[in-house]
Amino acid sequence: MLEQQLVNGFTLGLIYALIAVGYTMVYGVIELINFAHGEIYMLGAFLTLSFISMGLPLPLAVVLAMLAAAAIGVLLDIVAYRPLREAPRLAALITAIGMSIFLQNLAMIIWGSRPLPFPRQALPAFFSEPALTFSDVTISWMQMLIYAVAVVLMVGLNLVITKTRVGTAMRALAQNQTAAALMGINVNRVITFTFALGSAMGAMAGIMVSMYYNTMYPTMGYLAGVKAFAAAVLGGIGSVPGAMLGGVVLGIAETLGAGYLSSPYRDGVAYAVMILVIIFRPSGLLGRAVTEKA
Amino acid sequence: MLGRKMTRATVLAAALGLTLGLSAGPAAAADTIKIAVPSPFTGSAAGYGENVKAGVVMKLEEINAAGGVGGKKIEAVYLDEQCEPREAATVSSSIVNDPDIVGIVGHLCSSAHLAALPTYVREGIAAITPTATNTTISSKSKDEKGLTWSFRNVYRDDFQGKFLADYTDKVLGLKKVAVFYENNDYGIGLKEAFIKEAKALGLTVVGEEAYKKGDQDYTPQLTKIKGGAPEAMFIAGYYPEGALIADQAKKIGLNVPKMGADGFDNADYIKLGGAAADNTYLTAPFLVETAGADAKKFIDAFKAKYKRDMDWMSANAYDAAGMMIDAIAKVGPDRAKIRAYLAGIDSPEKGYKGVTGVNYFDANGDCLKPAYVKTVKDGKFVPAPKQMN
Repeated sequence: MLEQQLVNGFTLGLIYALIAVGYTMVYGVIELINFAHGEIYMLGAFLTLSFISMGLPLPLAVVLAMLAAAAIGVLLDIVAYRPLREAPRLAALITAIGMSIFLQNLAMIIWGSRPLPFPRQALPAFFSEPALTFSDVTISWMQMLIYAVAVVLMVGLNLVITKTRVGTAMRALAQNQTAAALMGINVNRVITFTFALGSAMGAMAGIMVSMYYNTMYPTMGYLAGVKAFAAAVLGGIGSVPGAMLGGVVLGIAETLGAGYLSSPYRDGVAYAVMILVIIFRPSGLLGRAVTEKA
Repeated sequence: MLGRKMTRATVLAAALGLTLGLSAGPAAAADTIKIAVPSPFTGSAAGYGENVKAGVVMKLEEINAAGGVGGKKIEAVYLDEQCEPREAATVSSSIVNDPDIVGIVGHLCSSAHLAALPTYVREGIAAITPTATNTTISSKSKDEKGLTWSFRNVYRDDFQGKFLADYTDKVLGLKKVAVFYENNDYGIGLKEAFIKEAKALGLTVVGEEAYKKGDQDYTPQLTKIKGGAPEAMFIAGYYPEGALIADQAKKIGLNVPKMGADGFDNADYIKLGGAAADNTYLTAPFLVETAGADAKKFIDAFKAKYKRDMDWMSANAYDAAGMMIDAIAKVGPDRAKIRAYLAGIDSPEKGYKGVTGVNYFDANGDCLKPAYVKTVKDGKFVPAPKQMN
């Protein structure tokens, strides 16, 4: 049973990690906690549903939903955050919360407030069949798919950040925005790219979740967003590998907490782990200790 | 212009009425008698509210087509409280302050009913709720003099929990059970009643786990429950989470019969749960298939009018409205007398024979009605092959 719980916790953790990288990338670049990121995750699921119901095949629907979510993320930045770039940080934070509420209600108007199932006929039937079975541990094809997608996306993301010019620009911006601008980096273009990349990852997480649990509803982004934010903080906000590690640690802590300690306190266990880490390592597991910028 | 003139005339009449000390009372409404129907008509529970309204509308049309009560038409005032306690409290004062309203059919949600109840008890107006199942209502239905003002023609949560434990043991013959409950008043109430009865019957409870409304991942708890090797699992909660639980239980190989209460009684349970919804047993206050001749007539009329299958909430609301109108017919449009009449319906002999069976109340205003069992087979709700009453 322990092994099975670990497998399930790991799956959940990878999904948190996919959402958490979006938080952490945006925070790393403009020091904004984008609370509307959970809604991008939700929109990823609903957009996929809409594309499938237009008759598109699943892979195409997923890619289109990711692109659309990236566009929404960019739009969000242009409409809501860019005008506040020079304003006190609290103003942008409150705007982010406002955008989150706006997108949630928009989704309720478009798709209704009742939970909807992921279209089963779009999924290959073998997805929910076991892929691997060792004694009493089962890993389904759906879980395998989540592992594969998460690993590919995260390795790809790391390559983008460490090996490409735009990735270098992102890192430069994270270190010092003014200096980066003086070096000729187009700051707004890099921020746009960051929002697009983070939103596409978040949308993918939403799509995987709605496929895995076979359901989607307009408020699904709230709790997932809070958990992923906790994962980003746990791993060290601003650090992409930290967000990945934080997501996995949180997912496993939550699953083991529910399975072995007390199921009513499931989320409590996850947050307690986060708080303990923050007490002893205030900058998170992989975060660098930085002095607050003036 | 005519409208404005009329408004002015009304204002004048009202002012005149005030100066005359309102001695004539609400003379304007002499040809109608009003009942209030407070329910959610917008928001996430609006679908349920529509079901209740559908039942009330049918009863009123039937009564008014036959000439009304004592030559007066009965009119329902539909008040939207969105299933929100604070909205229900607001609505409750507008109901008691309208002298034309003589009785209430509602509220739909237990939490809303509980929030409105103190006003009804204090101001003295009787309410029959067709759907609120929370046990706390029983202890809050009486005023200081011990008079009951709140009645219901639906069973209580603790009855459902006990009933499901009995059914698991006596009909399904399963002896090892696990309970997976939503961590709120509804889920905990059901769980405790179920476990109490299960233990009394000598069943073994091999798992007792909680979840939160809106959760998506239930595998940790289900994996733990599976470790206890139960023969049946009671899911004490509502259908959106219940469907996911059924689905995930199937995926981890926990293929045991699932038990559910009235919170599962929704077609979306099957839509969301898919094939995993099969082999679920749930309590229902009313079964279309085993109903009497009167009920069959009602069901057909309902289908003809609304172009959809009748659900138990509409049937209960139809009967609740029927009882209220019956009371008005017997004792007149007087709040206190209506209450006394309803409180007097305290045995099956005196009971009101409606489409949902014989309705009568105990001293707390609770109904004593049997429950039926539905099951999901091949993606459809069907009556369970064996009932228990």
